[in-house]
Amino acid sequence: MSTDPELLDPGHPSSLHGIEFIEYSTARPLALGHVLELMGFQPVARHRSREVLLYRQGTMNVVINAHAAQRRDDPADADDVRISAVAFRARDAAAAYRRALDRGAWAVPTRVEVMELNIPAIHGVGASRIYFVDRYREFSIYTVDFVPIPCVDQQPPAIAGLHWFGLVQHVGPGRMLDWIEFYRELFGFAPIPDDQRFGILPEGRILCSPCRTFYLQLVEPSPGTAGLVDRTALPFGSAASPGTAGLVDERLARLGLGTSDVLGAVRALRARGVDFLDSELAGPAERGALTRGLPAGVAFELVRDHRPPPSQS
Amino acid sequence: MTRFTGNCDDFGMDTISLAGPLEAKLRAIADGGFTQVMLSAHDLVSHPGGVAAACRAVRASGLRVTGFQVLRDFEALTGRLHEYKMDVASSMLELCAELGSRVLLVCSSTLSHADDDRDRIARDLRKLAMLAVPCGIRIAYEALSWGRTIHELPAAWDVVRRAAAPNLGLGVDSFHCLATEMPLHELDAVDVRKIFLVQLSDFLWRAVPSSAERIETARHFRVFPGEGVHTAEVADLVRHLVALGYRGDFSFEVFNDDYVQLKPSFVAARARRAAEWLGEEVLQRPVPLPSELPRAPASTARPRAPIRRTP
Repeated sequence: MSTDPELLDPGHPSSLHGIEFIEYSTARPLALGHVLELMGFQPVARHRSREVLLYRQGTMNVVINAHAAQRRDDPADADDVRISAVAFRARDAAAAYRRALDRGAWAVPTRVEVMELNIPAIHGVGASRIYFVDRYREFSIYTVDFVPIPCVDQQPPAIAGLHWFGLVQHVGPGRMLDWIEFYRELFGFAPIPDDQRFGILPEGRILCSPCRTFYLQLVEPSPGTAGLVDRTALPFGSAASPGTAGLVDERLARLGLGTSDVLGAVRALRARGVDFLDSELAGPAERGALTRGLPAGVAFELVRDHRPPPSQS
Repeated sequence: MTRFTGNCDDFGMDTISLAGPLEAKLRAIADGGFTQVMLSAHDLVSHPGGVAAACRAVRASGLRVTGFQVLRDFEALTGRLHEYKMDVASSMLELCAELGSRVLLVCSSTLSHADDDRDRIARDLRKLAMLAVPCGIRIAYEALSWGRTIHELPAAWDVVRRAAAPNLGLGVDSFHCLATEMPLHELDAVDVRKIFLVQLSDFLWRAVPSSAERIETARHFRVFPGEGVHTAEVADLVRHLVALGYRGDFSFEVFNDDYVQLKPSFVAARARRAAEWLGEEVLQRPVPLPSELPRAPASTARPRAPIRRTP
């Protein structure tokens, strides 16, 4: 089935316009915050009512949510760091949300405190959520729900022009087409030709957002992938374990950051203490690089992207 | 003790054929030599220990879950009826996911309130399929032979094709194929990869021409394959599906009032005879040597976290 043309019209109320923020969930926010700072993000604000911190670098906003993770009972989750949400910018968040529900999305009940924004959300892969945000032009959602950290630059510049490039999602065996259709039907994502590839990990299928500003890479993890990628970047390690194939933990696995100068970004980040996979296959190379051994089990992929970063607001 | 014979492990029993509590049904099915079981929502929600206890019992049985049934009268409704059925569908999907089932069976609507437009039916099935994606569930849509608009397999295939959702496919039930006297060549038009489940049964009289007769027979008088008067037709159906390339599961969908007042072990033994007849005589698979038998598998179903819905 082809993509609904109305979603490709940037003037349509339900159309998407990029990524507003990415949210991580962790019971150890300080450890993850340290990782983000190594990667060039700076803490700029605290949530008014919850244990949630906002980090920023250039046009990228990252939220660390320790609120939900600390309320979980399962001690096995204590070390788990997850990409727990992605917020899409929409021309009209309510319209995009209603359209998604009409086509089979699960509504997420939101719990807001007094004077906080009610940001509509649907369920994404695994336990993750997809938010719709339309207040990013005249004012931002953060001015309502967050309190700025005093004496901190609220607009820290990006290292080597880093900006959102995309997200990598792991899918279970035989589930690739299901997820392609899900993203096409609900948001208007479309697969790009198989011979068009970015970065250093050309696996899986790549979907382009309807606004053509970012990508989703859907990957069926395999033992080969696990051999190439740092194990700490694969928190679903069971996928590579003999006898447990098929029990892939479907989830948002890592972030892709775009830059026109991958090697320059690698030099700058190495100087801050970030290590990168170093191999003929995995780079670092002009086309991309992959972090290695970052604390808290997170990973970032750098991808060559000559497009200018989207504006902040 | 589960017996693995290798040549009929793709045949499974359905809990609706047996009397007693869930644990007794599972034990009888496993002791009967089966490795998989088709469950009904009733098995979970009526368990005295609750849904979680029922799911634990299924996992402890070592039986693989063939599928979960059944969502009825879902498609082509409007307004409040549609919203109501979406809530029901969501709840069924949550149960299905908690159980670790990868297939939800959906029967074609019998409601006179439903629209008869096939594009409308396809649109709702596509919506249901999208709802099922994050749960990791495939939807098997089955033409009930007394369905209002969709009552034959070719019509069900037509709307599945129109819906064009990868995780939406067909459920094929031999009873309904026999009831509507469907020629086997109708299956040739179906993409066999889109058959997500096959349910097998027979019955004890030749024809069921009216909807009332079909309903009565389907709900009370089915028997296992090889026990009824359509033995040759059931055998032909199975052979035809396998020849087309079907490699999925066959579940015995046998609603029978006598069987639910007999000892489960007795009924499971009859089901076992049906599986061996299909595996060895109909499909003529060789009986494997003891050294070729697989080791008993652990349950591979990983329960997915239930999705919390809007209250």
